[in-house]
Amino acid sequence: MSALQHFFAMGGYAAYVWPAYALFFAVLVADTVAPRLRRRRVLTELRARLARQSARQERKPPSTPASP
Amino acid sequence: MNRPALTSACAAMLRRDLTLAWRRRGDIAMPVLYALIVTTLFPFALGPEDTLLQRIAGGVVLVTVLLAMLLALDAMFSSDIEDGSLEQLVLAPQPLALMLGMKILAHWLATALPLILIAPLMAAMLHLPGAVIPVLLLALALATPLLSLLGAVLVALTAGTRRSGMLLALMLLPLCVPAVIFAAGAVAAAQQGLPWLAPVAWLAAALVLAVVLAPLACAAALRIALDA
Amino acid sequence: MSSWIPLWLHKLGSPPTFYRFAGTLQPWATALALLLGVVGLYGGLVLAPADYQQGDAYRIIFIHVPSAWMSMFIYGVMGVASFIALVWRIKLAEVVAMESAPIGAAFTFITLVTGSLWGKPMWGTWWTWDARLTSELVLLFLFLGVIGLYHAFEDRRQGARAAAFLAIIGIINVPIVHFSVNWWNTLHQGSTVNVFGPSKISGAMLWPLLTVTLATKFYYVASLCRRARTDLLDLESGKDWVRRIAEDEAGR
Repeated sequence: MSALQHFFAMGGYAAYVWPAYALFFAVLVADTVAPRLRRRRVLTELRARLARQSARQERKPPSTPASP
Repeated sequence: MNRPALTSACAAMLRRDLTLAWRRRGDIAMPVLYALIVTTLFPFALGPEDTLLQRIAGGVVLVTVLLAMLLALDAMFSSDIEDGSLEQLVLAPQPLALMLGMKILAHWLATALPLILIAPLMAAMLHLPGAVIPVLLLALALATPLLSLLGAVLVALTAGTRRSGMLLALMLLPLCVPAVIFAAGAVAAAQQGLPWLAPVAWLAAALVLAVVLAPLACAAALRIALDA
Repeated sequence: MSSWIPLWLHKLGSPPTFYRFAGTLQPWATALALLLGVVGLYGGLVLAPADYQQGDAYRIIFIHVPSAWMSMFIYGVMGVASFIALVWRIKLAEVVAMESAPIGAAFTFITLVTGSLWGKPMWGTWWTWDARLTSELVLLFLFLGVIGLYHAFEDRRQGARAAAFLAIIGIINVPIVHFSVNWWNTLHQGSTVNVFGPSKISGAMLWPLLTVTLATKFYYVASLCRRARTDLLDLESGKDWVRRIAEDEAGR
């Protein structure tokens, strides 16, 4: 048995050790990706809102008193 | 604010809530029916052997009462929030914690007391030995007000939200673990002929602590949840 | 010296300043977490010898124990931030408390699952109702309760304050649960698995463990920075500084 195979066999406990590590990294990666996706969504929504606002302002003539 | 005014305010609060509860008697009967139905289901699921039922009887009665209380907990403040009387209470000159304590007491009288009254019946359905039933009742009499008080804090926290049924269960579960452990521990110890005073004393200590602190926490939580 | 610290802290409390500060801190924390994580796990998985009793299965310790420590550490941070948020009503403290909760829940979940993956070959069971295990499970429910309550409110800041209150209640609750489960275990003598016997850990196993623990600490800092930045953008989306960021990133 090569050294690498020996390493992956984990002394017969591979079925317990590797899933544990896989879960550890899967959860942490999910935790890292989630805020990135949310950030993109928040910024996209904000840009859409800003675009709508500026479109509304262009439609209105600038002489009318601005209402908040 | 002099003392008689405060006492009469407390009495008025209690009378009002109990009157409201009495006018909706059907709602009071619901948790009782629920507890009876759940208790009936256990022998069907586990088989009618006396020894097995005896062994689980104490725990089943406790958990069933807890779940039945959880069912009614949601309604503790909901009608008062809908008609705005809770906001009046927050603005009232009387200390909010005391008034909420009265509301919790009224809620306990309306929901937990009927459950304690039918607990001997539930215990008998599961063949709990008659000698253990007083201990069970004592444990229930200490554990149910504890649950009402803890639950009231959480209900106050969810006062500003729309959907709270499942959330309430999720939040209450960690808090009620010690109460369930000690109440069931007392019953189990009594059933095995062991001294059962220690867990009951722990329950009583927790109850005393909760009686003092929970209304204050409930008032603070309500101020947070209604502060829009 | 004492004059500039409060000023610096006050400045950090303002969302745009914190956004920039977290932005510079986050890559460094991520890099340190990765570096220490790789070194620690190499030490743990490759260099450390197999345990004479448990064989190679003990190697789960290098993620299980750091995660368990982190779950409690993050609950502590959340409790302190919640207290600050309730007493001084600092928006940033609310953000830190509420964004810590999902990370804490993640670490608690990892602890529970890796623990049961370790328990199966060692004790022959996935789960035992031991005080530590039960407390960890209760901790998970507390984290989930905080997250659930936070999202149940329509007003974000109100939700944050309510959830902060729940977090503080929970901090009182955890020791009580631990004590009561301990008592309960002495009552029910059914399963007497000696789960946590006295054990000494050798240096070759200890240093990877501490390194990975440090790595998870830095990971938490990095993740908190990422989450807090995103949350601040969402909370302050009407403000000018967020608009500028949105417009700056539109071109990319």
